[in-house]
Amino acid sequence: MSKKHKHLEFEINLIPAIDLLSVCICFLLLTAVWLHVGALNVKQAVGGQPASETAKKPTVWVQINGQGDVALDVRDARVPAKLAKAKVPGKEGKPDLEALKALALELKSAEPTLTTVLIQPQAATVYEAIIDVMDSFKKQGMIDLGVSPL
Amino acid sequence: MLNNSIVKMSAFHSIIHESSVLAPTGDKKHRNIVADLLLTALIDAFSILVIFLLMSFSSTGELLMVGKGMELPKASGDTLERNPVVKFEEGKLFLEDQEVTPNSLVQALLDLRKTHQENRPGEPFPEQLTVQADRRAKFEQLSAIVQASAQAGFSDIKFAVVMK
Repeated sequence: MSKKHKHLEFEINLIPAIDLLSVCICFLLLTAVWLHVGALNVKQAVGGQPASETAKKPTVWVQINGQGDVALDVRDARVPAKLAKAKVPGKEGKPDLEALKALALELKSAEPTLTTVLIQPQAATVYEAIIDVMDSFKKQGMIDLGVSPL
Repeated sequence: MLNNSIVKMSAFHSIIHESSVLAPTGDKKHRNIVADLLLTALIDAFSILVIFLLMSFSSTGELLMVGKGMELPKASGDTLERNPVVKFEEGKLFLEDQEVTPNSLVQALLDLRKTHQENRPGEPFPEQLTVQADRRAKFEQLSAIVQASAQAGFSDIKFAVVMK
């Protein structure tokens, strides 16, 4: 049996690895999506069923005006009168999202089955304000959102 | 004189140190000036880049082309799917990049529905619509889209947002 010491030091050829990584970087740079666009889902009531036949669900009707003032009207739900007709004044022309979040939280704790929110914007209401309000409600578990046209 | 120069006194020493000194009459011995590149550090940097780019990789690609002057509102939305897109840009309405008027939008959406049913008979129509608009747009400009989608039977509207 040969007892020769084998030469164990060897060099890995790094050039193919660099080639591979360079190609990967080029491909990924070309296909990278820098702006992550998502979607806020809104269900429209198309009206296939008469209102009398529709089961009444607790619903929040939200009116937003051009100054960012938000007025809430809770229907078919057992909530305190203070919460049933609440108003959140706008802040610098935008809805006060912190106050709205607190209000949505109170509503949800008072009526846990409350999942439907219908937004009623006015002509001068800014699109961003509508999205912000819907997002605030969605974060509190009110996932059935709707927007009514003018 | 060069031997006592600042170059000679410099703290930087390299393999090509002697050759970098301007010494035309200096020693004529052949020196090994092969510089070893540190490939490991290069591979480290490349690997970090690949990992970062892989994290921002989207298998679906860009479903929406957001124009230069358009800013989408920010919200914590869901994943965007491929649906018919209604875009409101610079005061004009576009359905799949074809300009439409608020009055002709309902008919255009119905045509889209009809084409889908002809091309894929038996397959249910998704009834979903993606709305892309600038965050500063007024609702009076967007109301026509909401109304037309309800009239054409598109029950789900997906407002395109930039993910928070």
